[in-house]
Formats: sequence, C-alpha cells, structure tokens
Amino acid sequence: MASILKVDALQGVTAAGDITITSEGGAATQSLQQGLAKAFISFDGTGTVSIDTSFNISTLTDNAAADYSIAYTNNVSTSNHPVTGSNIGSSETNYLGYICSDGVAQATTGVTVHFVYHNGSSNNDQDPVHLVTNGGLA
Amino acid sequence: MASILKVDALQGVTAAGSILVTGEGNSTTTNLQEGLAKIRVSYNQSSGGAQGIYGSFNITSYADAGTGLALITFTNNFANTGYSPVGSGHMKEASNVTVDMFVYFAQGGGTYTTSAFNVTTYRNGVGAVDNEVGIIGHGDLA
Repeated sequence: MASILKVDALQGVTAAGDITITSEGGAATQSLQQGLAKAFISFDGTGTVSIDTSFNISTLTDNAAADYSIAYTNNVSTSNHPVTGSNIGSSETNYLGYICSDGVAQATTGVTVHFVYHNGSSNNDQDPVHLVTNGGLA
Repeated sequence: MASILKVDALQGVTAAGSILVTGEGNSTTTNLQEGLAKIRVSYNQSSGGAQGIYGSFNITSYADAGTGLALITFTNNFANTGYSPVGSGHMKEASNVTVDMFVYFAQGGGTYTTSAFNVTTYRNGVGAVDNEVGIIGHGDLA
C-alpha cells in the first residue's frame, strides 16, 4: 500500500533549504528546492497590462511596446538566474523572438523582458505573455 | 546523520494541493506544487530520425498536424489557460546549426486550451519547418 504523508510544510534538517529526493530512475538524487520553478506569470501585455495568473510575482510594469518588467515577491539569490518566456497565439509572421534583460541588467528582485521581431523592425505588445523563473531563493 | 523520510506521496493538510518548502537561502518559503513543472515533452517531427515523442511527463499524445505544426494533448488538464509553456527548437541537420529557430504556441489562433495546445516551429528565413522540440509547462493543475 502506498504511503501518503500529509503535511503543510517541508524543511530540511541539516539545512532548512535543502531536501534531497531520489530520482525517477531510483539511482540518483537531486535537491527538491533546486528543481522547483520559483516564479511564473501569464499576462496580457496589450493596452493596460494585467496579470492572468502568477506565482511569486509582486508587480508587472509596462515599460514600452513589447517591453515589460516583473518583480518577485520573494527574491532569488543571484542576479543571473534563468528566465524563459513565450507568447501565445501571435499572428505575427515576422519570427517574433524573446529577449531577457534587453539592455537592463537582471536583478535578484526581478527582470525586464522584451519581445522583438527577428529582423529588428518595430514590435508590438503581446497577449498573453508567459515567463518562468528558476534558480535559488534568497 | 541526514534523516531520510520514505514516502510515496505528499499531500497538504490545510489544503491537499499546497505544501510550503523552505527556500535555498533558508529564510523564505516557496510552494511545492506551484514550483513543479506540470508537463514536459521532447519530440521529433523531422525526417532526420524516428518521429514521435522522445520523452514526456503528463502528455497523453503528440500528433503531427502539418509542416512544423504539432498538437500536444495532456493527461491531467490545467485548471485554466493561464499556464506557462516555454520551449525551444533543435536543428537535426548539422549544416544548419547556426540558423535561428523559434517555437510558437497557438500561432495565428491555433489550439490553446486547458487540455492541449498547438506548437509551431519556425526557422528564420524559411518559415514553418519540421523539427525536434522541447517544451516544459508550469501552472496550476485542475
């Protein structure tokens, strides 16, 4: 019979922020905390920007056309952390690309992202935009 | 000595789908369920090898829907369409390793629901092309 642990919070003993779990193959182990995404957001980047769903996001800012900033509720530990993104349902035919921190340095408090046409021409606001952040929490 | 808890499943007490985890810095907490990727799929649509799924998690099917276009269907659905898929395309041909490749979701108004989405892979200067694709998705499960 499978065992089920019912608990509201998990914390490491040796280090509160480090719990090791066994891999799917049963041979290796990895850190539970390191494997978790630390933030994600889905938002409408057109007009007055608005958040559809989010996790660990405190604010969304519209900087310019297709240029947005997000701030985290709980900061990550290093400035240079991975942020991946996508936009959904675009009818653009000019190979819209995604850039993280275009001319704006990443920070532990958040990042700026920019959607651009690959050929460098002008770009448009997108809806919806999705971002996922990984890395260690501060 | 490190303590080892052996268990097959985890469930919150206050809310079954919410368990807090202390972060790497040992001070703040994050949410276990929110942090987990809910879908993962790597597939090949190109003729440069066997077509189909290389590996996946919570994916019930992959369907070739046209040149560079695939329909990915989930096993357990998302709670809403505000989930966040991200992906990348991988060139099979060694001679094209420097070309730019983009992955679009529901490009031009394709399928994007709680149970499935369309993926289109584009090569810059060419258009939609069959390719190898890797995708992960975060969000809330139904």
